[in-house]
Amino acid sequence: MNIRFLLALAAGVAVFGSQLLVWLYAPVEMTLGPIQKIFYLHLPCAWWALMSFFVVFVASIAYLLKRNFFWDRLAGAAAELGVLLALLALATGSIWGRVSWNVWWTWDPRLTTTLVMWFIYAGYLLIRSLSMQPGRRAVVSAVLGIVAFLDVPLVFYSARLWRSIHPAVFSASGGGLEPEMKLTLFVCLGAFGLLWAALLLGRLWQMNAAERIEARIIWKEH
Amino acid sequence: MLKPTMLIAAKDLRLTLTRGAGLVQALLLGLVLVFVFSLSRQAGDLVPAQTAATIFWLASLFSLVLMSNALFSLEEESNARPGLILSPAPLASVWAGKALASGLLLVASQLAFMPATIIFLGNEPSGPAESWLVGIAGILVVDWGLVAVGALLGALAQGQAGRESLLSLVLFPLVVPVLLAGIRLTTGFLEGASPLGAGSWLGLALGFGALYSAVGLLLFPVLYRAGD
Repeated sequence: MNIRFLLALAAGVAVFGSQLLVWLYAPVEMTLGPIQKIFYLHLPCAWWALMSFFVVFVASIAYLLKRNFFWDRLAGAAAELGVLLALLALATGSIWGRVSWNVWWTWDPRLTTTLVMWFIYAGYLLIRSLSMQPGRRAVVSAVLGIVAFLDVPLVFYSARLWRSIHPAVFSASGGGLEPEMKLTLFVCLGAFGLLWAALLLGRLWQMNAAERIEARIIWKEH
Repeated sequence: MLKPTMLIAAKDLRLTLTRGAGLVQALLLGLVLVFVFSLSRQAGDLVPAQTAATIFWLASLFSLVLMSNALFSLEEESNARPGLILSPAPLASVWAGKALASGLLLVASQLAFMPATIIFLGNEPSGPAESWLVGIAGILVVDWGLVAVGALLGALAQGQAGRESLLSLVLFPLVVPVLLAGIRLTTGFLEGASPLGAGSWLGLALGFGALYSAVGLLLFPVLYRAGD
């Protein structure tokens, strides 16, 4: 059995276990009710989306330094995962916001940063999909991967500044999580981490295979 | 590096201004945008200063996209990019020259956009000298950040069909922080008051400009050399 299969198996088991905890072990929140359980999906999506964008950043630097296409493919795979997870985080967050604050969207640093980040990386994926000579596409993507990641702290800071001037629609509520909720959350984070790694590895394998097939087609044509 | 930067900026400005199309196209688009937005208000109504400032910056941003495209297509049209790459001038000076040229063109077009914003959207800056100073300094500092990113990403979109839309798609989300600073600082100026937290916004815009200038100097040569 190869590592991809093992990782996918472990991820499947972990996600199943985490869902058991979410629905059977974690208590139902008093004010929000069952909708609060969306939190166990929302937070891992957001965390692993951020991790994906960090991988894009590191892989982009590595590509520019080493000029090895493995790093380019890793950046591409991580960006795809990041965009998907950020979209899920935004969608689940929006549903939660509607129930808890009565608005689908509000001007909040975290929401704004995530949305801007999503737009930037969606643009990044668009650039990757353009028909360019592979070397140029990899360089262009790597530069954008670095520039995009540097922008995120600035967006966060600017959104905080803006918010301090304009009254916020909601105020951040304090209070910690119940121990059962905390445990469930950590298990969900771990399970999503395994799922993230399995998907990343699977996508990388797929990209490598596509590359090999393309190389063989070109070789046969000549 | 200063001399080649000036030479490239002068060449780009000469070519753009003598042909006229680049600047005129950007100016017209910006003015049309301001005018179209003015149709959203009832006759006699004032557009809120924040909305007016946002429209002003949107017009500026769209113009910047057109200008960046025009400046990078100068080399593309005559296939002169290899010449610039092979020349003894450091490639970072190409970025600096393009940024300088687009900055000057942007300021020139904003000299038309600001009066258009005031006339069509009904805002009139009548504050103390301090609000004028903060407003003008804000516009210039934000312009610096915008052209730093514009000159870097212009190289990214070169050689692609539909460059304008591609560039706007990547540029717009990236410049959100500096754009917010611009809107906030210009709102204060249009309201005739010094905006709240002007120092922080100016600091953010300065930081953005400095960061992307450093990134531009460092990464532009890599990007420019990676031609098709």
